Amino acid sequence: MTGAKWIMNFPVTATSHSLADYRARGGYETLQKVLTSMKPDDVTKEVTASGLLGHGGAAFPVGRKWAVIKPNDGQPHHLCANADEGEPGTFKDRWVLEHAPHLLLESMLITSYAIGCRHSFVYIRGEFDLPYRRLQAAADEAYEAGYFGERIFGTDFSCDVFVYRGAGSYVCGEASGLLTSIEGKKGYPRNRPPRLTVKGLYQRPTVVNNVETLANITGIVARGAETFRKMGTAKSPGTQLVSISGHVNKPGVYEVEYGYPLAKFIYEDCGGMLGGNKLKALIPGGISTKVLTGDDVAPLTYDHASFDGAGSSLGSGGMIAIADGTCMVRLLQVMLRFYHHESCGQCTPCREGMGWMHRIIDRIVAGKGVPEDIERLIAISNANDGTTICGMGDAAGYATVGFIAKFRDEFEYWIEHKRSKVGGALEVQGTWHA
Amino acid sequence: MPDFFINGQPVHAERDQTVMQAALAAGFFIPYFCWHPNLSVAGNCRICVVEVEDPKGGNWVEIACNMPVSEGMRVLTDSDQVRERRKETLQMILLNHPVDCGICDKAGECTLQDYHYQYYGARSVSLDAKVHATKFHPLSERVVLDNERCILCSRCVRFTNEVSKTHSLGIQLRGDHSLVRASEDGAFASDPYSDNVIDICPVGALLSKNFLYKSRVWYLKATPSVCPGCERGCNVDVWHRKPEWKLNALDPKQNSAIARVTPRENAQVNGPWICNKGRDLAQIFERPRAEQSMLKGKAVELAAAVDAARRLIEGAKKPVALVSSWASNEEFAAFQRALGERLVSFVKADWLPQPGERVEDDVLIKADKNPNTRRARELFGPALPAFTAETDLVLVWGEGCNFAELPRGVKVIYLNSYLAPENGHADVFIPISVQTERAGSYTNFAGTVSSFSACFAKKPAVAHAQELFARLATQSKVVA
Repeated sequence: MTGAKWIMNFPVTATSHSLADYRARGGYETLQKVLTSMKPDDVTKEVTASGLLGHGGAAFPVGRKWAVIKPNDGQPHHLCANADEGEPGTFKDRWVLEHAPHLLLESMLITSYAIGCRHSFVYIRGEFDLPYRRLQAAADEAYEAGYFGERIFGTDFSCDVFVYRGAGSYVCGEASGLLTSIEGKKGYPRNRPPRLTVKGLYQRPTVVNNVETLANITGIVARGAETFRKMGTAKSPGTQLVSISGHVNKPGVYEVEYGYPLAKFIYEDCGGMLGGNKLKALIPGGISTKVLTGDDVAPLTYDHASFDGAGSSLGSGGMIAIADGTCMVRLLQVMLRFYHHESCGQCTPCREGMGWMHRIIDRIVAGKGVPEDIERLIAISNANDGTTICGMGDAAGYATVGFIAKFRDEFEYWIEHKRSKVGGALEVQGTWHA
Repeated sequence: MPDFFINGQPVHAERDQTVMQAALAAGFFIPYFCWHPNLSVAGNCRICVVEVEDPKGGNWVEIACNMPVSEGMRVLTDSDQVRERRKETLQMILLNHPVDCGICDKAGECTLQDYHYQYYGARSVSLDAKVHATKFHPLSERVVLDNERCILCSRCVRFTNEVSKTHSLGIQLRGDHSLVRASEDGAFASDPYSDNVIDICPVGALLSKNFLYKSRVWYLKATPSVCPGCERGCNVDVWHRKPEWKLNALDPKQNSAIARVTPRENAQVNGPWICNKGRDLAQIFERPRAEQSMLKGKAVELAAAVDAARRLIEGAKKPVALVSSWASNEEFAAFQRALGERLVSFVKADWLPQPGERVEDDVLIKADKNPNTRRARELFGPALPAFTAETDLVLVWGEGCNFAELPRGVKVIYLNSYLAPENGHADVFIPISVQTERAGSYTNFAGTVSSFSACFAKKPAVAHAQELFARLATQSKVVA
């Protein structure tokens, strides 16, 4: 077991995502309590007190984001759930959408109440089929039961939800790109200022929260910030849905309490490494976080402070375990191909830099690398650091710099010998656990 | 009171100004590609980075075009870090740019070229092939696009969204394969302001088909002028061959031809834009010119024609003048002084909207297709031409007069610049100069006066209307 459970706290059955089952677990009672007995401010205060951090990757305090919005300033506000889960290695929101869609919807209603939002949106990635059907079905059920629409529970509060399907762009998972996409434009991220909580969707103050972040809200309001804070560490209260993939015996989505020992999680909860191999590297939270070596992992606990101390971050919780025998040069090639493919092309450093890095790594793999290429990759990464409109340029840079810092020998070997130091494989032999 | 500091100097900023606006207003230089004073902020080229000094230490760089000025902030526009960042950005911009300045029409007035020499000046460090894209993509009949040169600043896209409002350009695909393309309904081809994207393109990606490979811009001289296409009176630059680069053998006609027309910024009249008709002034001014004075179709010397005209005016009982609305304020004054009392004058519309032409919109184009109607009506009244039974002479000044509508049997003096069948039907025909051969000014519909200079010398056989009127009036004045 991976510590306390906050979201995955019910058995998954064939009907556990339905409204009837959700109600049986106490569903929408919190909403009723909020609408009938709490003021919007009270909700925001409770969430701020809980210390809940954003689960999308940046770990921004949720209460601070909400507090920017003044519910009664006379203009519309919007809430947008970011279900465009595009970070490679991440598939935790998918679990929420498939198995707890009503938890997300109830949380969105509570959040909408707190920030004075009349129209809320879910931006779901286009590749999600079952999650989309489950979510839309849940929204239909909720409308029928009167949880959405006009005058919910007979109060003055009205709220609608729109499920908007993206077309599969990575950059549309960036909050401002997502809003631009909802507006029907090309999914280009926007420059800040203005922040989205000042001018977001349709130029109105908008809160964009990750699906998992929102899924935490109902519990926090129902059971209180104190209960929530009992989980995890002082700086990272609560739990994280970790989607682990790669060379482990039991990949999947796990709810991990912050502060849980990382090695124990991998070697016990996930059934250890595939084929009994050694852990070579761990991408801790989506490929945009800096890679850790097997040795780095041993002393870490699963919380923000511990990972930051190791020079990486928790990111989105999309963990990829990499076993000994995997070629890191080819892995970086795959990643840079992804970044090149997904760069939106709006701002110069990322548009040109991603393609350049991709061409360099392709050339190295083709045996035509030169020793300067390594420095060039680092220089391009640095040129992207803090100079781009959204975080994607930085992220690709971090990933590249991280790989080169930890596995420089493999890059140098390939450039010098025109072949991989470790055989060039991305997959290792082993049998998947039944 | 200083609001903030640029390079240590106190600078005043208006409310809601960005660092870019305040810095440019105060005379500081910040390079930019995508930013344009008349378009929204895109913030995508990243060349305008400036360093913000943090009192707590740890300066950071931020783009100047999107950063609001805050009280007391300290900005460096040319620090080492800024120069380094700009160098990196230029390296990125040039990574897939073909650097074919040798055959690029924009060379010489290209901001990428200028900044490269200012901030970078070195060869590319890339070992890999450049990304190839479409060359000579025809966006419309008028504008050709070279996608390899394009740096995706999105100025052209924003122009069609915000100024011409045709929403006719967009960016296709993504990453370094992004392509500027016209929207599918072909709106760009019918956008009457489409050619402005050529001027605002910071590189040589958008090119004028008419001007393609016609001349290097450094052989050309820009003479300030005014577009006579409508009563807006947009300020323009007429580009023509510099006298010191005169062509003798190759094609001497080019020495006195309009190479291209570009807008000259005037916030009160046209901002930095003009419509496509203004680009095609050559089509108006370079029609076949009348260069021969005639008496009833019989060629005579200019002096003889002037003499005949003067005698006709002298002898007429009720002479009427149809005044050109294409004449300058100075010509009106000369006419008024010399012949104003002798002739009953009416203002004539020289030009009417042509078939297919946009008649009027709320951007620039005005319905009256003559540049100086306002001043003409101020002087000669708004009445439509009217003739009485006693009218025995009509002085027709400029085009747009149907001779069949003149009273039968009247004598006609015709002053025109272009070859026309009417020239030979007039009793006296005198060829006059066109706008590009003289200086003057027009008063536009709103009363703003814009002046123009002469680009070319007139032929000796052609008269300047301004001087002609005095010669037509000498005797009449003595009699009066």
